[in-house]
Amino acid sequence: MAMVDYYRPLRLNQVDSSLQEEIKQACGVDVELCLECGKCTGGCSNAHIFDLTPRKIVQLVKLGDEKRLLNMDSLWTCVSCQLCVDRCPSHIDIPRVMDYMREKARKKNVKAQRQSIEIFHDLMLDSIRKTGRVAEAPLALKHNLRTRQYLKDADLGRRMFFKGKLNPFAPKVKNVKQVQDLFAKTIDKKEG
Amino acid sequence: MAIAYYPGCSLHSMAHEYDVSARLVSERLGIDLQEVSDWNCCGATAAHSLNHKLAVGLNSRNLNLVKDMKLDKITTPCAGCFSRLKTASLELKDPAMRESLKDLGIISEGAETVQVAHLLQVMLEEVGLDKIKQNVVKPLKGLKLAAYYGCLITRPRAIAQFDDPEQPMALDNLLQALGAETVQWSHKAECCGGGFAASDTAIVVDLGGQILEAARQAGAQALVVACPMCQANLDTRQQAIEVDRARKYGLPIIYFTQLMGLAFGFTPKQMGLQRMLVNPSQLLALHS
Ligand code: SF4
Ligand code: SF4
Repeated sequence: MAMVDYYRPLRLNQVDSSLQEEIKQACGVDVELCLECGKCTGGCSNAHIFDLTPRKIVQLVKLGDEKRLLNMDSLWTCVSCQLCVDRCPSHIDIPRVMDYMREKARKKNVKAQRQSIEIFHDLMLDSIRKTGRVAEAPLALKHNLRTRQYLKDADLGRRMFFKGKLNPFAPKVKNVKQVQDLFAKTIDKKEG
Repeated sequence: MAIAYYPGCSLHSMAHEYDVSARLVSERLGIDLQEVSDWNCCGATAAHSLNHKLAVGLNSRNLNLVKDMKLDKITTPCAGCFSRLKTASLELKDPAMRESLKDLGIISEGAETVQVAHLLQVMLEEVGLDKIKQNVVKPLKGLKLAAYYGCLITRPRAIAQFDDPEQPMALDNLLQALGAETVQWSHKAECCGGGFAASDTAIVVDLGGQILEAARQAGAQALVVACPMCQANLDTRQQAIEVDRARKYGLPIIYFTQLMGLAFGFTPKQMGLQRMLVNPSQLLALHS
């Protein structure tokens, strides 16, 4: 697990407002309104395992430190629980900023420190791309194979099977072409 | 009352009992749930995590299908789907967003007017507690329950526009109307780890463990949920949580629709209670 650096002050050695402007344009989130009150970090579900906490993330946007934002582990361990934005007196939508930076990390080919989370997202999207829907059991199985955890949850799988919880049949959207078009024109679109 | 019904992927597989119980109790209450024909996955955490436009596009397609059904309201029992649908419907109010979806081949004119409500919200706001009480034939007397809301039914308030995100009461009020007692507790609206059950189990064991511990300390006999992800995390990971915390919890994780059904006189089998991993039968014997 990444080292938590709560007590190290951020170094103000780089101030570049272009990222701040970019996020304002793309997400409608104005980090300039941050009061540094720390309510976001105080409420955050996962701050205790974040390498950079939400308040610091907002500061890094202000400082334009894109490199740290694209590489941080928090980008992938944020559970999108919406606590931070809900409690922020300035309504700064941190999960939206997280989504934006994740999308950017993908475009720039910056890999997640925690591969298993990124792989899971990818497999889920693969399933939607192919059939328009997600079948949970095959998805979990594929994830185990891709992350080489061949025996992960074997016992849980057995218990769930006997409860009739595992449906091996993949459901499918009839007009799946429409869904595939959506993928082709967004996430699968080549830049340029 | 006809409402478009969006079950979402979980209710068609792992959470089958949530789908069945939701349909049966809705029918009993005179709500005509019409499943959205040919709906697609809302994209869950994966789509919005990696591509904003894809996430809005996927949900716009579903909202459009509701328009095609000539209905003006959609409901879903899943907190995750609810959040994705509602976020998209609010984004679509922005003409620039609608314009940008046109080149995705999604004509979304009118889709932004479709109202989105979680099924719990429909029960409280459309049906009402009075009518629910009138349908109770077997009150849940003697049950002490922790109402667990999780994140997305009420948060962020600007999107969910339902109940109080810090001290929600909708589910408590519903369970009390069914005759049960609900406990006051600290973790009503904390996060269970959402979609991370398979991808980073340690996160779910950590966050879910805090929730189960808080429910135990409050003296609850079971947790009641309104989301298939919350259910799966707290139920299927409970054994791992027990190992992690060296404590036996044995807390059943039950859908609110299952309890409504029991109070309305449906059998535990009809409500699919035999499908839960942490067996609630002992608890329900209290009630029979
Ligand atoms: S809660 Fe909002 S204003 Fe306060 S530190 Fe966090 S982002 Fe800034
Ligand atoms: S959405 Fe992410 S950053 Fe915000 S409180 Fe939840 S886990 Fe923390």
